[in-house]
Amino acid sequence: MRHFLKSSILFRLGFAVALLLTVGSAMAEQRSGHIWGLPPCVTVHGEQIDRLFMIIFWLTATVFVVTQATYIYFLIAYRKRPGHKAFYSHGSDKLEIIWTTAPTIVFLALALYGNHLWDQIHRPAPANSFEIDITSYQFGWQMRYPGVSGKLSPIDVRKISDENPFGTDSQNPLTAQDVISSELVIPVGRPVHLLLHSRDVIHSFYVPEFRLYQDCVPGRTIGWVWFQATRTGNFQIACNQLCGTGHYNMKAPIRVVTEDEFAKWLKPRQEKNAAPAAAASPVATLTHP
Amino acid sequence: MSATITADSHAAAGHGDHGHGKKGIMHYLWNTDHKVIAMQFLFSSILYLVIGGAMAIAMRWQLAFPGHPIPFIGQFLPSTIVSDDGALIPGGYNMLVTMHGTILVFFVAMPVLIGVFGNFLIPLKIGAGDMAFPTLNEISYWLFSISGVIMLASLFAPGGAPGTGWTAYAPLSSFAKYNGTQLGQTLWCISLFINGLSSLTGAVNYITTVITMRAPGMTMFRMPLPVWAIFVTAILLIFAIPVLSAAAALIIFDLNFGTAFYKPSGGGQPLLWQHLFWFFGHPEVYILVLPAMGFTSEILAVFSRKPVFGYKAMVYAMVVIGGLGFIVWGHHMYVSGMNLTLSAVFGVSTMVIAVPSAIKTFNWMGTIWRGNIHYTVPMAFAVAFVSMFVIGGLSGIFMAATPIDLFVHHTYFIVAHFHYVIFGAIVFSLFAAIYFWFPKMSGRMFNDTLGWVHFWMSFVFFNLTFFPMHNLGLAGMMRRIADPTVYDCLRQVQPLNVVCTVGAIGLGLSTIPFLINIFWSMFKGPKAPANPWHSTTLEWTLSHPIQHGNFPVIPTIHHGPYEYSVPGLEKDYLPQNEKAPSHVTLEAH
Repeated sequence: MRHFLKSSILFRLGFAVALLLTVGSAMAEQRSGHIWGLPPCVTVHGEQIDRLFMIIFWLTATVFVVTQATYIYFLIAYRKRPGHKAFYSHGSDKLEIIWTTAPTIVFLALALYGNHLWDQIHRPAPANSFEIDITSYQFGWQMRYPGVSGKLSPIDVRKISDENPFGTDSQNPLTAQDVISSELVIPVGRPVHLLLHSRDVIHSFYVPEFRLYQDCVPGRTIGWVWFQATRTGNFQIACNQLCGTGHYNMKAPIRVVTEDEFAKWLKPRQEKNAAPAAAASPVATLTHP
Repeated sequence: MSATITADSHAAAGHGDHGHGKKGIMHYLWNTDHKVIAMQFLFSSILYLVIGGAMAIAMRWQLAFPGHPIPFIGQFLPSTIVSDDGALIPGGYNMLVTMHGTILVFFVAMPVLIGVFGNFLIPLKIGAGDMAFPTLNEISYWLFSISGVIMLASLFAPGGAPGTGWTAYAPLSSFAKYNGTQLGQTLWCISLFINGLSSLTGAVNYITTVITMRAPGMTMFRMPLPVWAIFVTAILLIFAIPVLSAAAALIIFDLNFGTAFYKPSGGGQPLLWQHLFWFFGHPEVYILVLPAMGFTSEILAVFSRKPVFGYKAMVYAMVVIGGLGFIVWGHHMYVSGMNLTLSAVFGVSTMVIAVPSAIKTFNWMGTIWRGNIHYTVPMAFAVAFVSMFVIGGLSGIFMAATPIDLFVHHTYFIVAHFHYVIFGAIVFSLFAAIYFWFPKMSGRMFNDTLGWVHFWMSFVFFNLTFFPMHNLGLAGMMRRIADPTVYDCLRQVQPLNVVCTVGAIGLGLSTIPFLINIFWSMFKGPKAPANPWHSTTLEWTLSHPIQHGNFPVIPTIHHGPYEYSVPGLEKDYLPQNEKAPSHVTLEAH
């Protein structure tokens, strides 16, 4: 038993299994991305992220296969044999310099390329972006769309509370116009700019199909998130920051629809809110953009 | 003064207060001998390993079969964790998430790596009679024990244990209204505070011992790599732990006394906690992995019958990891709301810290290259360590790249990544170290067959548990959710969750042969020779039982720690306290 378990054939087998697990299960089946399990990617930035992902995947897969193949070869070739003595060596400075320099160059190149993309993704939202305010709370989401004037009512994060979920000013006529929704409906092909808020603890806005994660921090507006959807479909916002007992189920529907459908969804809601406000205040008569 | 302690001088002085005169149970409860303290840490940690591991299996059960009662033990769990029929409730799941992480990091990995092997190995490997501060050493153990009791007590607090994750992000953790367990969270903070004191007293002791108590001839660059690793680790502890303690104290104030360090409406900052926590939390990763690297380096050399390849490069790499470890914490916070340029800066430092890890990996491969590899159980775990570390290291590159983090942050991809590092690498090296030094600790040999069964079960089930988690993460599965099936996009990958759970149960079972082996062999195993592995370092020159004070005569050290297969010598190893014969030249290392 002891010798059976010890035999190098089993060792070889073990590492072959590890290798198969690694490369095999990564490449075995395709879902919709290039790697099994990857959800579809529906944003412009997401496609760039997936490209970088694949570069790193092939780089690391190659490094893994090459180093592990060498390692396994050493493990088999230099196993204990009668009459064999190990080679006496304390190392090689030349090799140390090579395997310090090479990874440094590769890692720095990756960091620079990654940060270049990071910078691109976080350019200020384009002027034509559609602005939506999202507030998170234990344990749900609320969206706020601009009313008929095309402008969101301004907010003060310090005023965000259970009674005033968005922190708007009730005196401001724009506040009554705002369209509140429990689902996130967005037009395809148009940049969408999000203002992320939290009413209590830290939550996170996470949509795997958008390749997008951002924490919502109480007391702050996170205003740098914007994206452009490339196709229509139904998705879900998931809270991905442990936020309490209901965390696992803190989700909200997302519908990416055509511009027409989007207008059909938003217009009636805007007009409904505009009706009483129009009578009360002259600001509401501002021209629609 | 302490530097001259020897077994003989010790016996002559008759220090009764050191505990070695005591009989029975007191001998094991209060004893200042570093070898006994190491055993105290070992047995406490094994208990916590079983508790923390069982929690993980309960969580895996829930993830594979959401809402189904946990078989056998479900009914016996408190009502804060399970429903009436014994199924995990979401709040209870969060508590297990928190306790599993906290226990495994602070009550298993740290005490075994540092408490057990730091204590056991440092004096024996540098030729010292004991630690510099033996009483402080025992106090360190008891602080650790008290902190453990407090941590477990939080499970029985009203509202249960904290369900805020081992990272305890504020303001969830700092506001009773949000976390629902003011006492549980407070106990968690107090426990970590006391645990930190234990680590600090230990670290002070290790640093002083290494600097002041080396035997004649034991220069810094002749120290075995495990000693170097624990020395660097102790320095990291000194800098990192106080920050966690302070941050935890602030949570206690916020929770109980109405301060607002982390509460925005009172002028506080939620991100402050994350900066403080990760300033500790990232060095913590290296606090765990450096000793593991040290043990592995030595075990690979011993069983390859070759000197460690690039000894000095190994030391420098550890020092560089220790230094850089303090400027990468922001990579946990790329998407936390932290300044975006700062994220980019941390992105660069994070990529750079991968370099010394790569250097170490190449040197391990260099160590076995042209060796004469003896396959033993500790060697198998050490060999597996390198492969698992490579997988964990390579998956880290994905998250280090700032844009990829937008996609994989807080998913099972990171769960897979850090379990490859913490279980695949660190725990595997712990098993390697326990088997390797078992003959020295117990005076007996372990059972080889049980050891191999343990190795293969661990290796196969570990990969079965954690490899599919990469795919789950890429499929968008969030970490710390009690029920993945509530999301449309996750229902189709649910079979993978079942695979992980099967692996986790197997991994749980794999510890049975380990525990049987350790406890049976300790009393019934065949007597071990003084140097069963034909190793060169000083601990193997002593035969069992090693007396209090360790060395009858303080040894003199003549050369570096890993002189294996020196040409011209009959035997293939040259102990550190033996002079090389004049016809033999040792290569500089």
